[in-house]
Amino acid sequence: MKSILATLCFCLLSFGMFGQDILVEAESFDNPGGWVIDPQFVQQMGSPYLMAHGMGKPVKNANTVINFPKTGDYHIWVRTMNWVPGEWEAPGRFQLKVGDKAFEKVLGKLSGWGWEYVDSLKIDSKSAQLELIDLTGFNGRCDAIYFSTSNEEPPSSPKKLAEWRKNLAEEPNAPEQEQSYDLVVVGGGIAGCAASIAAAEQGLKVALIHDRPMLGGNASAEIRVHTLGIYGHFERILKKLDTEHYPNGSAEAKLDQEKRDNNVKSYKNIDLYLNWRAYDAVAENDTVRYVDARQTSTGERKRFEAPYFVDSTGDGWIGYWTGAEFSYGRESVDTYGEEWEEWGELWSPKEADNAVMGSSVLWGSKVTEAEQAFPEVPWAMPVAKEYEEVNGEWQWEFSRNDLNQIDDAEEIRDHMLRAIYGSFSNAKEHPENDTRKLEWVSYLVGKRESRRLVGDHIFTFNDAKAGTKFPDAVVIETREVDVHYQTVLEDEKNPDFISEALFYKTPQYYIPYRSLYSKNINNLFMAGRNFSTSHAGLGGPRVMRTTGQMGAAVGLAASLCKKYDINPRGIYTGYLNEYLDLIENQKYLKIPKSKQ
Amino acid sequence: MKTLIVAIAFFFMHLGMAQFGDIGELGGFQKGINQKPEFYILNWQPGMQLAEKTTALSIEVDSMGLQPLKALVDVNGRTVLYTSDISTPVCADGDCRSMEIRLYWTLLGEYAGFDRYRNAPLTKHDHDEFLSADYLKLHQLLMDDNSILKRRKIDELVDKPKQPEMEGVDAVAGATIKEVKESVVGGALYSCYSAWHLVHGPVKEQIKKRTLESLDNEKLFTMLQSNNSDYQLFVLKKLSESQYESNYVRIAEVFEIGIPLVRTFVIKNLPESFWDSEQLQKPFWESFSKVDINSRSLLLDHLENSPESVMKNLSGQLKGMTKNQLKIYLEYLASSEKINPQIKANLENFSSSDTEINAYLVTYFLEDYEQ
Repeated sequence: MKSILATLCFCLLSFGMFGQDILVEAESFDNPGGWVIDPQFVQQMGSPYLMAHGMGKPVKNANTVINFPKTGDYHIWVRTMNWVPGEWEAPGRFQLKVGDKAFEKVLGKLSGWGWEYVDSLKIDSKSAQLELIDLTGFNGRCDAIYFSTSNEEPPSSPKKLAEWRKNLAEEPNAPEQEQSYDLVVVGGGIAGCAASIAAAEQGLKVALIHDRPMLGGNASAEIRVHTLGIYGHFERILKKLDTEHYPNGSAEAKLDQEKRDNNVKSYKNIDLYLNWRAYDAVAENDTVRYVDARQTSTGERKRFEAPYFVDSTGDGWIGYWTGAEFSYGRESVDTYGEEWEEWGELWSPKEADNAVMGSSVLWGSKVTEAEQAFPEVPWAMPVAKEYEEVNGEWQWEFSRNDLNQIDDAEEIRDHMLRAIYGSFSNAKEHPENDTRKLEWVSYLVGKRESRRLVGDHIFTFNDAKAGTKFPDAVVIETREVDVHYQTVLEDEKNPDFISEALFYKTPQYYIPYRSLYSKNINNLFMAGRNFSTSHAGLGGPRVMRTTGQMGAAVGLAASLCKKYDINPRGIYTGYLNEYLDLIENQKYLKIPKSKQ
Repeated sequence: MKTLIVAIAFFFMHLGMAQFGDIGELGGFQKGINQKPEFYILNWQPGMQLAEKTTALSIEVDSMGLQPLKALVDVNGRTVLYTSDISTPVCADGDCRSMEIRLYWTLLGEYAGFDRYRNAPLTKHDHDEFLSADYLKLHQLLMDDNSILKRRKIDELVDKPKQPEMEGVDAVAGATIKEVKESVVGGALYSCYSAWHLVHGPVKEQIKKRTLESLDNEKLFTMLQSNNSDYQLFVLKKLSESQYESNYVRIAEVFEIGIPLVRTFVIKNLPESFWDSEQLQKPFWESFSKVDINSRSLLLDHLENSPESVMKNLSGQLKGMTKNQLKIYLEYLASSEKINPQIKANLENFSSSDTEINAYLVTYFLEDYEQ
């Protein structure tokens, strides 16, 4: 039933420019089989897509039923991308089957996202099963399948494609469903979860929008970074969300996942929108009016309105869409005087640049009883080179100055996949690894640094170094400031996907509330790595108990904003004492009067 | 109390050693040195002779007090290196051994190398002597100024932290322990730890301060000739605009052969005058195909100031550009009124290649441009 509905959404009977055309979005498949839905790069390539993430073993077929408006001859295209073009067979190859017809054409061979022509087919029944057949298990990807009675290839350029899709689906500009809340939180990492809980506990009606099926972001069982930092004033809330200190990449992340999801779901006044990804936000008079989001598999859309919003997307998307000031890259050493002489350019450069800390993709393998084969991966070797390893920790990190951590995130993820498969393949050359097999490789990019929205205060390394006790200090941290760089900068022989950390031991330090709301967008809070900070300042508080503290702090602030009908800045200028009291008083749950 | 006992024990041990006279001859060392230290990171000029010169500096060695730090000077009396003969107890679980080693530092106080004493080899916890590979590993450890040994107390490195039970994941080991194991000589953690902290201790700053006090142009230019990255960066930060110009040939050479970190500094900090002069900027562009991706990106930031010859040369090096770099190059080309025929021919050649992964970008560009 679901599949029929989904197909109907995209099936159109337009009678002029499109002929008898059907666009099947791969992420809407009724049964994705072993393929995974990847919505990470929607803003860059246009849509969530299905990916055959089988770690070298072909995954089970994905299938769905499609309905044809009429029988006849159709031309078929598939939107896909060869993710490692080169002088080897494309790593992610797959085939298409429609009804009983398995097409010979091997797909996944095109450089850059675009349409590959499959064949034409005579359709003689009103519905047929559509199947994606993975051939390699190495991350073949399918965005959509297009059936057309005319032989005109759909557009490829991102702008034209978006317009074409919109026309094809006959989507009005605005989502038809609108929902109103007291607070809309976008991004269900630790910061977003903490913000939602803190606000909900104060009685706010909260929408939490998150583009994955599980909460926690980098701490989730899908990315598996353990939470670091202290609890500050928010131990009670953060213990509902954080992780044990297992090694990064550990399967133990699953246990904390269950705890976190259950805790957030236990709040009646949090409406949890899992698998919903925000794709737009609009501000009028420097005030966010709404956020639009789309269900990552059905394509259903909703508009979320509220007087206050929290941007905990990590990439600062809500701020970006609504025109909030933001920064990206490293400030010059003189901008805020953040020099650490010992590490010079690696810490803070003489001239500003666009270098940032990189993204990680964690992975692990295990020894089994039987011998385990691993396919040859020639396409991975130009990245992995001679490097060999059987698991990955935080040092598996990639950043390069021609790649933007947001715009080029797919290439960054793919570079890490090549590093992983190639290094594992090298390790498998040794007889002691004969029985070893890949157990888990994440396909989600675990980012450290991207856009940083600008608040009334920009937190810097100096604030941490001096332990400045701001009057509006709401986040406390003792963890060292730790800035990463790629080791290839020091020696070209090093792999380009391994980083090193520079640790600066600080006294206890504080983040002011003024770093947690936008300077120029009146009703926008931020929590998480996209808070108001310099590059070096981010080195300490980017870990997840600290970002969780930020979240809890803005959740409480939002409740006071509502109480007095003021904007976030108004708390600092007029209600700071009440706000600090509120933070103090929420530490322990009150005993109900009936039990006193 | 424990420290006191160790110190007394070592005092007697050392007293015993002194009765037998000098601890021995260094590899190639008498008073001063005339050959390259056995483990060494700087260039060694053939025939160089360095004489010892006392300084007011000293290095504090655990429980042995201050040991003198000497300068090694060339025939012109210019300091080339710093050195100290270290004799220190290394104790683990109450068992103390002596570690005898001669350490060298650069003019900036960074680790430069070490010599071992022929008749006082370094030993491991089980009293086995270091093998050649062990000395090499020690050298590598000492070269790492950001070693994990820096941030940890010795006690934190000895006991293996508890590894939680994992659900079938036996392969994901704690990084810390692995990093320690990988970086130190097996069975000689205490010696490695002591040596690392002697090399990278407060002496660094003292040496650097002494160098800064006597810094002049001659020393700067000598350091610029070095292949040592710290020297290169140090000098590049000190040079004036006119010194950049008069040394542009060497600076371009440093850009070509230096480590990526030095290259990026060079290209980001070249004075504006370089981008107004074809002669000054040309050698940097000529290194385009030899330098790393980050350095290429930074060079491409200066396309708008580059002479036409650069655009032409780059059109034959599209293969070396990443996708985004190629986009930048093409965007710049698109803004020019007319494309040089040679550039166009190179673009067409690239776009028709079956093996170039970014050929499609050039094809799109040519299509748009011709419209």
